[in-house]
Amino acid sequence: MTRLLQFAAGLAFAAVATLPATVHATDSTDVIDYRKNVMKSLSAASAGLNAILQGKAPAENLVLQAETLRIIATTALIAFEPNVEGGDSKPEVWAKWADFSAKMKAFEAGTADLAKAAKEGGVAAAQGKVQAALTCKGCHDVYRVPKK
Amino acid sequence: MTRFVKFIGGFAVAAALVLPMTAQADDKDVIDYRENVMKTLEAQTASLGMIASTQVPPDNLVQHTEAIALMAKAAKKSFEAKVLGGEAKPEVWANNADFTKKMDDFVAKTDILAKSAKTGGVPVVMEQMVDALTCKGCHDVYRNKK
Ligand code: HEC
Ligand code: HEC
Repeated sequence: MTRLLQFAAGLAFAAVATLPATVHATDSTDVIDYRKNVMKSLSAASAGLNAILQGKAPAENLVLQAETLRIIATTALIAFEPNVEGGDSKPEVWAKWADFSAKMKAFEAGTADLAKAAKEGGVAAAQGKVQAALTCKGCHDVYRVPKK
Repeated sequence: MTRFVKFIGGFAVAAALVLPMTAQADDKDVIDYRENVMKTLEAQTASLGMIASTQVPPDNLVQHTEAIALMAKAAKKSFEAKVLGGEAKPEVWANNADFTKKMDDFVAKTDILAKSAKTGGVPVVMEQMVDALTCKGCHDVYRNKK
């Protein structure tokens, strides 16, 4: 996976030089890759945050980590806006868009709340918010094809 | 933070995510954490790359550059504990002054990139990103790629 991602990133940089900025070459693979990248970021950022809350990583990074999670959460809904079925997304993402986007907005609000608590009250305050913020499973159970 | 609070916090997280509960950072935790920070950087850089190469619309441009700038700062801190292992070469700590200088440079440049994204959008980011994302320059010296 690492190799593939690095390849993708390298390819992207190469393309910077060769593509005119106005071309929107969005094809369905790109759309799916992009939303998966956003989800991978969420996975790594929330694991880092949990490590801090469990005393396994430096508490000095709490606000950086919570802010990063908040910011990435705000990028997720847009990544699903193009109606491109595939990847591990169930068709219900778009068939029940109102509910899916409500879930994503609740996730955004929860992570914003968590980041605010981290800034104002540190680890103890963030611990009180983390369960309500990380609604990952609640969405995956409904909208993501289960892992084999 | 008291041990009691740590215990309660650890419990809440464990209950939420079904993770084992430990309140002590051991060597593996230190390595896992810095690798997680690097993974976040990798996924965010890939997303930014897709915007720069116009594979996806630029709506999230600012957010990706901000996340990269924040994770650059987190990365610096994550290598302060001298724990050999993972893909980090021992030189990270043997030549720590140089490693830290490379980290500081990465932090400063990604901070500027995030500010440029806000004011100048895609064209300015495209101009600055290759210079700001010094990933390879550091990895070539300090990382044993597996
Ligand atoms: C509102 C819905 C929703 C929320 C909230 C959500 N996800 Fe996802 N996630 C999805 C969907 C849908 C997919 C499938 C994407 C695809 O492959 O097309 C997915 C896929 C993933 C993947 C697999 C990516 C890959 O490489 O294939 C990971 C990992 C992931 N999510 C982690 C998280 C984490 C961690 C959180 C919480 C911090 C989270 N998600 C929150 C809907 C959500
Ligand atoms: C100043 C040095 C430095 C910079 C800058 C840097 N890295 Fe790293 N990176 C490292 C070191 C050292 C490791 C090995 C960490 C370990 O495994 O202990 C590493 C590991 C990684 C890994 C492997 C993580 C894993 O899963 O084991 C990835 C992916 C990565 N970096 C991506 C990036 C990206 C993308 C950037 C730039 C946006 C970047 N790095 C910038 C030093 C750096």
